[in-house]
Amino acid sequence: MDGWEAWRSILKKSLPLLQAEATVAADFLNGVTSFVISSQKGGVGKTTLSINLAHAFARAGVRTLLVDADPQGSVGLSLTRQSRLLTGFYDFLADPGISLDRLIVPTRLETFSLVASGQASDYEASGGIGGSYLARVRAFLRAVSSRGFDLCIIDTAAGLFGVTGDVIASSDAVLIPQQAEPLGIRSVPKMLEGLNRLRVMNPRLMVLGVVLTMVQQDLAESLEAGQALRQLLPPDLVFRTAVPRDGLFVRASARGLPVGVLEEGAGAQAVFDALRVEIEAKFESPGRRAQIHG
Amino acid sequence: MDLVNPWLDSVEVRRMAERLLAPVQEQAVPAQDAGFGEQFVGYEPVHVPIPRPAAVVLPPEPQPEAVVEPQTEVRGPFLDRVGRLRDWLHFHFQAVEVFLLDREGAVIFDESRHGKLHFLARSLAVASRRPGGMAGNVHVKVGAAATLEVIPVDTPYGCLVLGAVVPAPLDLAAITTVMDALRSVASPPH
Repeated sequence: MDGWEAWRSILKKSLPLLQAEATVAADFLNGVTSFVISSQKGGVGKTTLSINLAHAFARAGVRTLLVDADPQGSVGLSLTRQSRLLTGFYDFLADPGISLDRLIVPTRLETFSLVASGQASDYEASGGIGGSYLARVRAFLRAVSSRGFDLCIIDTAAGLFGVTGDVIASSDAVLIPQQAEPLGIRSVPKMLEGLNRLRVMNPRLMVLGVVLTMVQQDLAESLEAGQALRQLLPPDLVFRTAVPRDGLFVRASARGLPVGVLEEGAGAQAVFDALRVEIEAKFESPGRRAQIHG
Repeated sequence: MDLVNPWLDSVEVRRMAERLLAPVQEQAVPAQDAGFGEQFVGYEPVHVPIPRPAAVVLPPEPQPEAVVEPQTEVRGPFLDRVGRLRDWLHFHFQAVEVFLLDREGAVIFDESRHGKLHFLARSLAVASRRPGGMAGNVHVKVGAAATLEVIPVDTPYGCLVLGAVVPAPLDLAAITTVMDALRSVASPPH
């Protein structure tokens, strides 16, 4: 049994249970729901998670906009050859004369669109005053809502400050990828502290939870780190689905595609489908729903 | 060997994690609980006098030309009124590159066409905002003889931010006059 088969068999067991908890994607939520994919530490697989999760929602019929708010422009670099020429998110922040329509890049999947990082992303490189972009980020999300999207997934730079802080302070929810390795887990307190601080600015911010990424089944330290995280945090705060480390993700980004589009990508797609179902269930739980809708 | 726990305070981590799952309570402290009586209704805005140096006898300086209030009786559409305000700023303060941002930071009037000036004004206005209060006016040198004045003004349409490039920073009296003028321009007709 190869790695993906093992993952698929784990998912087969848990998927019916998860599906029972969730309502179907078409019934997702009224109006646009925005969630940020953010982490304290870099290199934990935020962009891979963002692209493939957005693709999973779009495949399920949810009109999804994936926004690259990482000045490195990794989403754009992964999915479009002209990403460095595209007007994007940071241009919108810098210039109110730019409309959202100019930023949206359609994909072959009708329900899946992108906004690249853009040309003005140098602003972030020099650091920003916290709150400098808050009004523009909120204007951006209002424009996304009026454009008829159901879901806006925002990939951010590592750290919870600058534009990333403003994006989290303006969004409905945050999802935290966490690499299954000891050093990554040790950064968890700092991340929790940062999120608690941002929830003071945005009390309706829902913390969807932590997703273990880059899990290596053949490495004891990776599995132990994952287990330690599950013991450390309340069960509601750690997703049951975890994303394995696999060469398939490298192959997918080399070809500028979400992993599920690859011929051999069905196993990987099942991981992101399971994650999507878990997220939908979290949005649908009555307590959390009340939190998000005030 | 435990690879994680020796590096963390697991009780503290658990406490922070549980706080993330609980709804944030927006705290409203009753006046009495805060140590005030029932008569307390809040603070009056206080105008802090600007400290001035002790008076010294100096030869009289040439007085600047008296600033005349912009004519606002002839009202007309909002943008026409802003246009007249711009002319008044040109005439009395040698202001150029005048622009006006709305409360969302969107440009509603612009003769500068410099996105970077708008961006700078927006950032300065936000950064100068005091907790629970209005943003204050700020200026920043943008050239050898050019200063960007950023003047946020609370109007019936929300906070508008006026930006203008002037040869030298405006003094407090001039700022007050400009604020009154903008407030008048942005007031609905009686």
